[in-house]
Amino acid sequence: MAAAAARKLSRRKALYLAIPMAAALAAVLAGVLVPLERPPSISSAFPAGAIVVGVDASYPPFALDDGDSMRGLDIDLARAIAAELDLPVRFLNIGFYALHDALISGQVDILVSALRIDPARMDDLRYTQSYFDNGLVLVRAADDPLSDVNTLTNGRIAYEYASSAEGQVRVWEENGQSIARLPYELPQYALDALRLGQADAAIVDATTARLYLSAQREWQARYERLTHEPYAIALRIDRADAWQLVDAALETLIESGELARIIDKWL
Amino acid sequence: MIIRMLKHRLRRIAALIALLIIAIALAWPRPLVDHVPLGEQQIVQTDQPLVCVHTLLENEVQEAKIKRSLQLTRELGASTIVQFFPWAYAEPAPGKYDWFHADRIVRHARRQGLRIIARLGLVPAWARPSQPDSPTTLNFLPEQSFDDFARYAGAFAERYRDAIDVIIIWNEPNLSFEWGYRPVDPAAYTRLLRASYQQIKAANPDAQVLAGALAPTLEGAGSAAGLNELDFLTGMYQAGAAAYFDALAIHTYGFRDPPAAEPAPERLNFRRAELLRETMIAQGDGDKPAFITESGWNDHPRWAAAVRPSQRSAYTIQAFKFVAANWTWVEKLCLWAFRYPADLLSYPDYFTLISADFTMKPIYYALQDYARGWERNENPWLPPPRES
Repeated sequence: MAAAAARKLSRRKALYLAIPMAAALAAVLAGVLVPLERPPSISSAFPAGAIVVGVDASYPPFALDDGDSMRGLDIDLARAIAAELDLPVRFLNIGFYALHDALISGQVDILVSALRIDPARMDDLRYTQSYFDNGLVLVRAADDPLSDVNTLTNGRIAYEYASSAEGQVRVWEENGQSIARLPYELPQYALDALRLGQADAAIVDATTARLYLSAQREWQARYERLTHEPYAIALRIDRADAWQLVDAALETLIESGELARIIDKWL
Repeated sequence: MIIRMLKHRLRRIAALIALLIIAIALAWPRPLVDHVPLGEQQIVQTDQPLVCVHTLLENEVQEAKIKRSLQLTRELGASTIVQFFPWAYAEPAPGKYDWFHADRIVRHARRQGLRIIARLGLVPAWARPSQPDSPTTLNFLPEQSFDDFARYAGAFAERYRDAIDVIIIWNEPNLSFEWGYRPVDPAAYTRLLRASYQQIKAANPDAQVLAGALAPTLEGAGSAAGLNELDFLTGMYQAGAAAYFDALAIHTYGFRDPPAAEPAPERLNFRRAELLRETMIAQGDGDKPAFITESGWNDHPRWAAAVRPSQRSAYTIQAFKFVAANWTWVEKLCLWAFRYPADLLSYPDYFTLISADFTMKPIYYALQDYARGWERNENPWLPPPRES
């Protein structure tokens, strides 16, 4: 009985030893047989030897076609990515409604067109990491002592009528905050009201805030983010290699500070 | 004894089969029915029968939102809607129709007292070539599927013969994107129009078939993007289209021009519709009316072709007055677009009259005042701030 139990135990020990050994052997073999993962080759990801970029060039300051050429933040970004990949770049100016079909049907390789990441399109598209966040921002005068959104109770808040900024004001009111609403026809007017001391804060999108502040350099203001609306580059879902390369190139531009320079140039 | 055992077993087997059937029935996928009551029959109250809006309810999944959209359309004073009925949704397999969603839209629209202009398009996967390396878009309709599309058009006309009497064949076939990213072809579109016309008329001789719905564009011959609508319409006539449509569907946008701005072949503006009209007259087809099935202005703060919200409201009302006074050949002026079921997250969101969350925009109130004969005369916003 004791001998049988001892045999059973030694068999179990052997089994315990065999499992990790087999796993180690499999790992070694896998290392030998499967090469280390390498980045995809540019020539296979972009077989035409160029990047064709779809962009709606009617949307300044991201892209605008002035008749002779296209210019804007998205144009510079696409050029910088192509330079990182050492590929020539070609732009196709396509209206917004046609952009996604152009990508799906292979007319273009990538879309760089102030596109917000849209979860509803993720069955067809892959997005890179975001290159700009155009969410709503709360702008206040730089010398405003108030420190956060909650201190705005009873404050006069300026915003563009019937915009997402108004939606934000409505959310605060539904949460019990009392707000004096100042709706304006244009978002710039909301910032004018703040600058002229006729409002305590303004809600606009990040692009509007940056453009206004760069045009009104003598005025000191600061802003904090309220929502996130990330812009990203889109590729067709089956082009994983191209997506990996473009995303890596964008990462390089972010790390090198080149993306920040492009954004500062246009906004 | 054996017989009793057999009976007992048979009963157990029958019970198991019944349980299995119930389980399958419960698990079987089927459309959700949210049972929104239709409500009382309504009548549109309007002083302006030209007013029409393009709804986009084909992708609105919640019946309550379909009903709300149509209620607001009626309250606006619009008596007519243009609504898209995608073929791809209605015929998921050849010859197998699923009218569930279309029925729902039609039912609610009729209950609100609205007339429907139906737009047909969007190709199911089974009617498109399968090309894994180069997928076709939902607008790709190969010539060999023209008859399949026409059969759908006929089936649609038959099903809704008591509810819908105006049907548009396809959308903007003069843009390569709307033609499946292929070179546009007026003769091919005319063949599609002919096949559809014949099927629709066989199903409902009283239905009006609308051709065109051509996009306003300046593209010249050989452009990869498409062909301007004036040359495309001429090409349609040369291919014999005149016999296969009862009225022309026109898309005309104002962009940055006011509605009274003079038209010109090299300019995109509201009165460009007159150039299409001239083409019809030149082709001896001047007796036919036109429906403007897309129009309007955009008021995005930064889009290059947008105007300010106050301009958008003013231009839109001026456009309705201009059409009523000058274009006797126009049956309806339909604005793009009433509401998107979800935001597109870019400047096209500023074409709508109400937002996806049902926030009414200034244009909604302005058009309502015009259509209902109301005079509110109040701006919903403050005047621009000034130095005090």
